[in-house]
Amino acid sequence: MPTTDAAAVVRARPTFWRNFWTNAILAPRTTLGFMRIDFVLGTIFIIPLMQILFFALTVQLGNGGASGIAFVAVGNAVATVTYPSIFSVCQTTDSEKEQGTMEHLLVSPAPRFPMYVGRGLIPILISLATVTVGLIYTVAFFGVQVAAGSIPFLAISVILSAFAMVGFGLLLGGIALYLRSSIVLGNIFLFIGLIVSGVNFPVSALPVPVQVIGYVFPLTWGLAAVRASISGDSLGAVAPLWLWIALTGAVAVGLAMALWRNFERRAFSTGSIVRF
Amino acid sequence: MNAPGHPFAVSRFRSTAASVRLSVLQFVADPQWLIPSMIAPVIFGIVAYQLVLGSGPYFLVYAILGAGMMSMWGQTLYGSGWATGQDRVFGTLEPTLQAPTPYVYVVLGRILWNVVSGLVGGAIVYAVVVAESGQLPAVANPVLFVAMFLFVMVTLASVGVILSAFYVYTRFAGFIQNIGEFAFYVGTGCMFPVIFLPWWTNPISLVFPPTWALDALRYGSIPGYQGFAWGFGWDVVGAVATTAVYLVLAGLVFHRVERHVLEVGTLADY
Amino acid sequence: MPPDPVIETRGIRRVFESRKGFLFTEKTRTEALRGVDLRVDPGEIFGLLGPNGAGKTTLTKILSTLLLPTSGEAHVLGIDVARDPQALRPRIGLVLGGERGLYNRISARENLRYFADLFGLPASLRDRRIQEVLDRVGLTEAADRRVEEYSRGMKQKLHLARGILHRPELLFLDEPTIGLDPKSARETRKLVRSLVSDGVTIFLTTHYMFEAEELCQRLAILSKGKIVARDTVAGLRRLVGGDTTVEAYGFEDSEIDRLRHLPGVGRILTEEFGPRLRLTLRSSGSELTAESVRAALGSAHPDLMVRERRTVLEDVYLDLVEEEAA
Repeated sequence: MPTTDAAAVVRARPTFWRNFWTNAILAPRTTLGFMRIDFVLGTIFIIPLMQILFFALTVQLGNGGASGIAFVAVGNAVATVTYPSIFSVCQTTDSEKEQGTMEHLLVSPAPRFPMYVGRGLIPILISLATVTVGLIYTVAFFGVQVAAGSIPFLAISVILSAFAMVGFGLLLGGIALYLRSSIVLGNIFLFIGLIVSGVNFPVSALPVPVQVIGYVFPLTWGLAAVRASISGDSLGAVAPLWLWIALTGAVAVGLAMALWRNFERRAFSTGSIVRF
Repeated sequence: MNAPGHPFAVSRFRSTAASVRLSVLQFVADPQWLIPSMIAPVIFGIVAYQLVLGSGPYFLVYAILGAGMMSMWGQTLYGSGWATGQDRVFGTLEPTLQAPTPYVYVVLGRILWNVVSGLVGGAIVYAVVVAESGQLPAVANPVLFVAMFLFVMVTLASVGVILSAFYVYTRFAGFIQNIGEFAFYVGTGCMFPVIFLPWWTNPISLVFPPTWALDALRYGSIPGYQGFAWGFGWDVVGAVATTAVYLVLAGLVFHRVERHVLEVGTLADY
Repeated sequence: MPPDPVIETRGIRRVFESRKGFLFTEKTRTEALRGVDLRVDPGEIFGLLGPNGAGKTTLTKILSTLLLPTSGEAHVLGIDVARDPQALRPRIGLVLGGERGLYNRISARENLRYFADLFGLPASLRDRRIQEVLDRVGLTEAADRRVEEYSRGMKQKLHLARGILHRPELLFLDEPTIGLDPKSARETRKLVRSLVSDGVTIFLTTHYMFEAEELCQRLAILSKGKIVARDTVAGLRRLVGGDTTVEAYGFEDSEIDRLRHLPGVGRILTEEFGPRLRLTLRSSGSELTAESVRAALGSAHPDLMVRERRTVLEDVYLDLVEEEAA
């Protein structure tokens, strides 16, 4: 009966997984960055090599020696996760605003959690690929030695870091709802990460207040776990770092959800959804 | 009254000035850009200082030049191309190209504005590095240093013009620029001498005017500097020549790119 | 001798190509214009009608130097648009309209000032001229507000103000009243007429038939990239069978032939309308009336409905576009 069909349509809500997969597959494809596979490949293969090379040669200029080069090589290999995790997730927000689809998204009845988290799936996969390729470069060209036995711990560290960083990207994407553009935020955290997360010099060498800021970022814990895994540290030493990655990542996702809700309301009240 | 009359003569100077003005107005309207343009130089300064600390008595010059170049790249090059990318997003690229002013003068205006903000970034880097080290950099010839620093900006701007044409050419230019950002830092030797790189990469580096200008700048300010074997004089000649080629090319490239986008009809894509 | 045309095109074709995929690219070709011949005379309002995707905006962009034709020739104000766009640009205005195409973060006045400089308006004239166009489109009070705060209608007015800022000889208006409320749309049409009084030639594309009928001396109908008709409104009415339209519903299908042979019938169209056919008859004389149709069908039709009215541009448009589609 037509009435029943209509009622079914009215009651219909996408299920969690349907919502998740729709956003996971479709949302990244609506942004420019994912429209061409060659640019995705460029992010995975070229950016890590050039970023590592740049800092390694800078260390060579500063007479940092082989250990210094290996240190920045690993740091920057992991730091390249920022591009796919933070920038691409933030860009989905910008892209929705620019294309005028954000308002339609926000008035849809779809539950927000799978909608936002689903958007992180492809960036997580690209983040994993980028960091893996970066670490392969460090071994192949920058004198980093990874024992075969360290690889499982290293893999767990990288996977957890990718998840946590994408969670952090979602958090920034939430803030970007209220701002005109999220690229600014992405840039700020990319730069700050270079200092406070132990990418180019140990966190312990930083002033204590800066160290505290550093430990808020999942990247700092991720990097510590990767370094510990490469050094062949025991499970007892690495596991707490994994917990910290998971914790900072989970807090980021939780905050992201809260912020998305809050900023949804604020963006509606200020009308900033349609500003870009 | 709207009686049509003779078309007005377009003044290239006024068009460029209008573009500078628009850039300032847009910047003021969206001051969040102030944050990365202030934060980036500070961070680059700190990182560069720490990494080149052991490079000898002139490490401060290396740190200032390297971090300065990185932040100026962001402002001068990226900013100029980005503005054209924004024109695509706003849908203003079409009306701007439909105006009788050649688009290259609009780009020139943006670059002038970005050069100014790039210099502010350079000054911030200088202040950060000096504050961190607690000493002024030992520069062999301060006047030459400043003059060459400004000259490097001109060479960066010449690359910026070509890059902006790329943004008119394709909406994907921003991604290509992101992918190539560190490659440009490496290739032009903004932090370390290009001779650190394998010899076979040098011809690629020498295609970029800033490579010559930066080498000349280091020759002029760091006694005993080991850069390209031909030394300061030929570096300056190379920088002037490549910059001139870029500026001439810019005119041709813009003309060709404008024609191309009219052929393929991608002006409204974003 | 007829005046030199303001626009003259011969065999304009435009093909768009797009690619999909990375390793195995798939190329798609879309022929947006398939040989368009047009002539627009000075001082007229020339209307271009056509369904969505017919190629109206493509043609407008070609004539206003924003797109090159794949083949064919287009001369605007005597200038070849493909060879010398730079010479043409100061002499034409373009209003594409819509939400985009403006600097949203700055005010309307600043937007106009920027384009005044790009069009080379002398500094001594610039501010006065900006005020004039703001007054003319009714944006004076909001002139110093950021464009992002504007309604769609206000943005449309700003597009229009920018289009006439440099006093063009020829103005391209691509759906200028889309999104405007009835009052603003009427004011816009008034403005368009006043521009013509000032000597500006207008090339207008629109979906609103009454607007085209009210404004345009001559019209062309574009369908699937081809001009399917071009004439005055009266001429187009003749083309589809005449000034008078009689619509009939509620008869038997077998009776159509009887109506076909009624005196004065110029054209006859049938369409399914619920369970029966609806018949539309066009006539240019006074012989065909609702009465003559009723008389022909007899009194044995309790549901018969017959209506006589003047043929409007919408009838012409639908007839021609549907004919082309068929």
